[in-house]
Amino acid sequence: MPMKIGERSFDNRVKQGIDNTFMRDAVSSAQARFQSNKAKAEEQLGHWEEWRELSEEIRAHTLENLDFYLEQLSENVTKNGGHVFFASTGEEANDYVKKIAQEKKAKKVIKAKSMVTEEISMNEAFESVGCEVIESDLGEYILQLDDHDPPSHIVTPALHKNKEQIRETFANLKGYEKTSKPEELAQFAREQLREEFLTADIGVTGCNFAVAESGSVALVTNEGNARLSTTIPKTHIAVMGMERIVPTWEELEVLVTMLCRSAVGQKLTSYVTGLSGPREEGDLDGPEEFHLVIVDNGRSNILGTAFQSALHCIRCAACINVCPVYRHVGGHSYGSIYPGPIGAVLTPLLEGYDDHKDLPYASSLCAACTDACPVKIPLHELLIEHRKVITEQEKMTTLSERFAMKGFGMLASSPALFHMAEQAAPAMMSPFTKNGKIESGPGPLKDWTNVRDFPVPEKESFRKWFQNRGKEES
Amino acid sequence: MKVSLFITCLGDVFYPGVGKDVVEILERQGCEVEFPDAQTCCGQPAYNSGYHKEAKKAAKHMIKTFDSAEYVVAPSGSCAAMFREYEHLLEDDPAWKERARELREKTYEFTQFLVRVLKVESTGAVLHANATYHSSCHMSRLLRETEAPFRLLSNVEGLTLHELPNKNDCCGFGGTFAVKMGAISEQMVEEKVEHVEETGAEILIGADSGCLMNIGGRLQRGGKPVKIMHIAQVLNSRE
Amino acid sequence: MAKGTVQNQDAFLQNIADKLGRERRSEGVKRPQYKHSPQHDILRGATIKEMVEVLKEQCLAIHTDVKESSKADLENVLEEVMKEYGADKAVAWDDPRFTEYGLESFLQRPNMTIWGSGPDEDNIRITEQAEAGITFADYTLAESGTVVLMNGGGRGQSVSLLPTYYIAIIPYSTIVPRITQAAGEIHRRVEKGERIPSCINFISGPSNSADIEMNLVVGVHGPVRACYILVDDM
Repeated sequence: MPMKIGERSFDNRVKQGIDNTFMRDAVSSAQARFQSNKAKAEEQLGHWEEWRELSEEIRAHTLENLDFYLEQLSENVTKNGGHVFFASTGEEANDYVKKIAQEKKAKKVIKAKSMVTEEISMNEAFESVGCEVIESDLGEYILQLDDHDPPSHIVTPALHKNKEQIRETFANLKGYEKTSKPEELAQFAREQLREEFLTADIGVTGCNFAVAESGSVALVTNEGNARLSTTIPKTHIAVMGMERIVPTWEELEVLVTMLCRSAVGQKLTSYVTGLSGPREEGDLDGPEEFHLVIVDNGRSNILGTAFQSALHCIRCAACINVCPVYRHVGGHSYGSIYPGPIGAVLTPLLEGYDDHKDLPYASSLCAACTDACPVKIPLHELLIEHRKVITEQEKMTTLSERFAMKGFGMLASSPALFHMAEQAAPAMMSPFTKNGKIESGPGPLKDWTNVRDFPVPEKESFRKWFQNRGKEES
Repeated sequence: MKVSLFITCLGDVFYPGVGKDVVEILERQGCEVEFPDAQTCCGQPAYNSGYHKEAKKAAKHMIKTFDSAEYVVAPSGSCAAMFREYEHLLEDDPAWKERARELREKTYEFTQFLVRVLKVESTGAVLHANATYHSSCHMSRLLRETEAPFRLLSNVEGLTLHELPNKNDCCGFGGTFAVKMGAISEQMVEEKVEHVEETGAEILIGADSGCLMNIGGRLQRGGKPVKIMHIAQVLNSRE
Repeated sequence: MAKGTVQNQDAFLQNIADKLGRERRSEGVKRPQYKHSPQHDILRGATIKEMVEVLKEQCLAIHTDVKESSKADLENVLEEVMKEYGADKAVAWDDPRFTEYGLESFLQRPNMTIWGSGPDEDNIRITEQAEAGITFADYTLAESGTVVLMNGGGRGQSVSLLPTYYIAIIPYSTIVPRITQAAGEIHRRVEKGERIPSCINFISGPSNSADIEMNLVVGVHGPVRACYILVDDM
């Protein structure tokens, strides 16, 4: 699945999202639960702002010295007996893993959830060389069975589906006969997938954080599927976005603390696994071969720009879980596997503005995302930065908007013009005024009055009142 | 103490009564209120839309206009927050950046000024009503002022304040967002209206005219009997 | 272990340096003195007894059963847990601590397999068929209710993963406040140039998922139940 999902226009996607009442109820109650879990976790931890500042500092330092830490990582992975492939593009990454699959004569690939492999369509790459690819994360497994429905959330990818839909999918495709109870559905998936784990040739995982000092890959999970994917198959391929790295285990534990609490409100998830190369002499499980694929795929273009802090993201989805826009339109409306505020920031950076220029505007700039971010990415400011680029560099805004804004600039810096416009407002609006309100306004006001009434300008502005008051007094 | 009032566009044209209340309250607290007549708009519509060249024009003009002010007070968390954004906007120009810093340091939202600078906890207001309060996003998240309005409202005689469910949620105004993303904004304001109704309040109080215009417009469109009031109006009530 | 291969490194890293607008950095980078270090303040100075209480409380939150035992009584408690879970077939680590804790006869019970005792390939199959996997903890994190396992050799990572139930024996002496201390210890080993195990697990209770309508399901791909047996060895 590529990063971009679907071909429909942004407006169409939004409309479909708004009309999907089940999805909206599910998202709304999920957000409420995510928010209260995170709030509780913050409180229990204490000194949350200090933790955020520490985390931001760690991320900023690492990104500033990314070449250094990646080199250290690479050196240590190979020392541990693992192989490292630096992929500038998704294509290079996919060619590399295809070659491994062919060398191993692999027939079956078992995957744990990984956003970067979704981003570069790695499943299709494996399939093109005859491998069956099985997603083992419960949410991803459901989506894969359901005709590759795209994920709508980066932590709980099947958030938009209800249990009845899931039961149907299992029944139609896998002969499931039990009820729609989550426990029974999960038990069924466990049974179905166990055998797949035992017979898979290659396990593919993402990488929450790589640790430079020891050449380790840390995986943060709850279900145990990432552990199975890295314990049984003879070959393990970990795929990481190049920015997902920390200097040492000391920074790792801080960011893991923040990730678990911010993503799901857990102190630690059930499994945090540190993997440092393939199995050693005398080990009887774990992969015999380990490959780390480090993916750029457009990330380096973000370095050194006003958007660099977007690469600090640890993929916890806290911004998604507080976003009111996400709540109403759902993940698929963003047209990207990265939804919500971070998706609106990241997607245009990785894929360009042509298909995604609406995303930076799909925010009221309420800054709930910025407040929620455990590594202090100023998300709403980055959305404004995107708007600036779209306006000033890409020149993709409409002529009428540019004209209006130019006019605004003139008015705002010229008191005389500004006052004239203010004075003209009541007369200009009077044709549209009925019963002391405006229910159907002209021009851009129409978009306002489609939804709500517009107030009528008062006959006497404050300015006039203040001036007259001064006269009366003197 | 001399206070320079920044009335804001909406306050000047649509809600002049709010400004009058602000002036009266401040004067009663012994402030000398002046109104720099050259003031225009803070530039937020252009800034948030990405037209930073135009926003800079507005910023420089406002910095000049309020240059000699001792304190700048605005009856809007959002517009006051925009003043504080000027430093960031004018980053490439050290001289202007310094002037922007000076402006930031003396700019306050109205309730914030009462509580933090004048150390006022009560304006002696009386208003017999059931009300709820909408915390606007820019006031609470950008200005980081979450207490001042509640401290002042808690001392309004006769006022019963009901907590707004999901009070941290945006109302869907967002300036140009309300028209540019009308369909999404509609869902947000509708949800806000539902929450307001849940409280059973007859008055919705806010400290930002933009949010009030949005929520109030939606309430009115739906024929809901909830009245909107700016917090300055409440704090200057005598009934 | 033979050194692995690296491909495309130089061009890739040079591009990063270019984008960052500076020369390539291959050495001389020091970690900053971070402004805050709140991680060291949690349970600072707590006694073992206090940490045990925190741990027990946390186990409620992570759906993990807790038993307490003396060293002498450990075998009985283990048998009790096995009975409670209806577990018969079990796999245990090949770990000298089982002997130190007087569990020789427990290891000889029928249907008990020691990891690594059979032919290589059978270990995973046997463990997958087992009802219970039993290991000691190397570190135990009070705050999060986590056992840290340094796998390798006779200490197969499958033992805590493949069986239906997971039983961790937790000597008091392994308990530290939180992940900070365990990660700090691993960091110090790396700094000294030691090779750390190729698989280190931090396990906090049984596997779970909230992927279906945000309902918590305990027991997905990993163990469906977990029990910690706390042993006072101090």
